[in-house]
Amino acid sequence: MVLDQTILLATGTGLLFVGIGSISVSKNLLKSIMSFQVTVFGANLALFASGMGFGSRLLSDTFVVLSVLVGASVEAVGLAIIVVVYRKYGTLNPDEIRRLRR
Amino acid sequence: MESELIAALLAGGLFATVAAALLSSKVSNSLIALFYTSIILGVAFTAYGDALLGLVTMITFAGAISVLLLSVVLITGESKLDFGPRRLVVAAVPLAAVIGGVSLVALFSGQAGGLAVTDSSLGVLSFLWTLRPWDLLILVVVFAGAMVAIISLLGGED
Repeated sequence: MVLDQTILLATGTGLLFVGIGSISVSKNLLKSIMSFQVTVFGANLALFASGMGFGSRLLSDTFVVLSVLVGASVEAVGLAIIVVVYRKYGTLNPDEIRRLRR
Repeated sequence: MESELIAALLAGGLFATVAAALLSSKVSNSLIALFYTSIILGVAFTAYGDALLGLVTMITFAGAISVLLLSVVLITGESKLDFGPRRLVVAAVPLAAVIGGVSLVALFSGQAGGLAVTDSSLGVLSFLWTLRPWDLLILVVVFAGAMVAIISLLGGED
């Protein structure tokens, strides 16, 4: 059980950092949202794994459910912002949007 | 030993689908890979005894969010994704491997024992259980806030 927990914890941490790295280098807002989703997946998996191997996992499960629903809400708002930005500027490239704003 | 094999397979599947989603330059491929990532995550939760959490993850991410992403792709008409400097994206993978390795070593050497939730730490966090009915209220407020934000974003531009 300890090895399971370790593998899942390492995977969750890895996904978290891959997502954050991808958000920071992404040149497309849609890609940023997808990277954010990967970050949420990593956080959920790490939270879930941290509660494994103990009698009651209710605490970690509660946090994961909360994280899933908050992550989904944030993502929905982000997608709505993307639609508005695309209608206004016609592009999803942050550099291009910054240039057009001037 | 069998459960460790399952964990390793699930971890490999997750990394493979995430890499496919983030490194693909076509939107459709990214969406499909992300859909499979959600499914694998749900399967992982279910395999480790939490069917409800797996179901919630699959319904929320593989169901609702995938359709939402697809709708946005159809609205914007984006077909190609520019994922920035490829070198930086590729550099993120070894970074994640290093961090994963360090956490593995830390866990096995016992230095990270404080990471684990123990009974005493549950005692410290027991105030959360006295506030359980507030969980639902928080979720309702978050959802309502998100809906209001989306309506005002999409409806207030005319």
